[in-house]
Amino acid sequence: MRRTTSSPFGGETRTRVLVALGLLETSYARELARLLVAPVSGVRKAIAALERDGLVSGRLVGRTRVVQLNPTYFAREALEAYLLRLAEADLELQVGVRALRRRPRQSGKPL
Amino acid sequence: MKITARTPLRDVATAVGHALAEHGIRAILTGGACASLHSDGAYLSQDIDFILAGRVAVSALDAAMAANGFVRRANRYVHPESPFWVEFPRGPLAVGADLKIEPRPLGPEPLGTLALTPTDSCRDRLAAFYHWNDRQSLEVAILIAVRNEIDHDLVRRWSSGEGHLARYEEFRRELARRIDLHGSQA
Repeated sequence: MRRTTSSPFGGETRTRVLVALGLLETSYARELARLLVAPVSGVRKAIAALERDGLVSGRLVGRTRVVQLNPTYFAREALEAYLLRLAEADLELQVGVRALRRRPRQSGKPL
Repeated sequence: MKITARTPLRDVATAVGHALAEHGIRAILTGGACASLHSDGAYLSQDIDFILAGRVAVSALDAAMAANGFVRRANRYVHPESPFWVEFPRGPLAVGADLKIEPRPLGPEPLGTLALTPTDSCRDRLAAFYHWNDRQSLEVAILIAVRNEIDHDLVRRWSSGEGHLARYEEFRRELARRIDLHGSQA
């Protein structure tokens, strides 16, 4: 599918992973893949490239690699502001983010 | 020099920095290895990170690293004997949002390896404490500050800019406590 929004970070998946992290603060490959309707392998590759560029940082929490915008990136504030502006133009992503449940859920409570 | 399994981190980092300079590559030692040197080995790191100043062809980097027996494996350079490996994370050289970093040579030689100053290495570790609440990094920042003269005014101003004055105050309190208890052997 041809998108009408730009991909200023070197590719559609890379750009949308960054924009999504700008909105979500933290996430992981599978959640991002669901949100972006993209293959997990492609999202993982995008995350790896963004980590190499220093834009994203990740750490293991249990068996899940949790990623976020790199808080020590020298242009973090400017990057966050830019990503939020890009998010305004990605209505599909906004709808997806609004549908995500991220608040705590007591264990054992029925879905 | 010949790097062996017993060559200490400082000598490996110095040899690599020297070879890079000889090949016309300006690189600055940073990260955990730098923190290890400034803490006199109280903190141990196996990865040696250099930030390259400017664009460098991979072939030129390969040649400079080969001078000390390092070979490229994926994104890092490994040595057949040394437990240390070398990486070149992408720049720019920065500590948090601060880009005005002035590295200094590690030793007196003309082709001395450039490295973060103790103050900047301390800030580099504090950044991880501030932004990831990484207590190990706080510990290393303290080890560096106990053993070196630190520009605390700069660290305080920078911490404020990073939005973490409260954690800076925690660092100062813990540093003062260690110095009271152990002096410079903390």
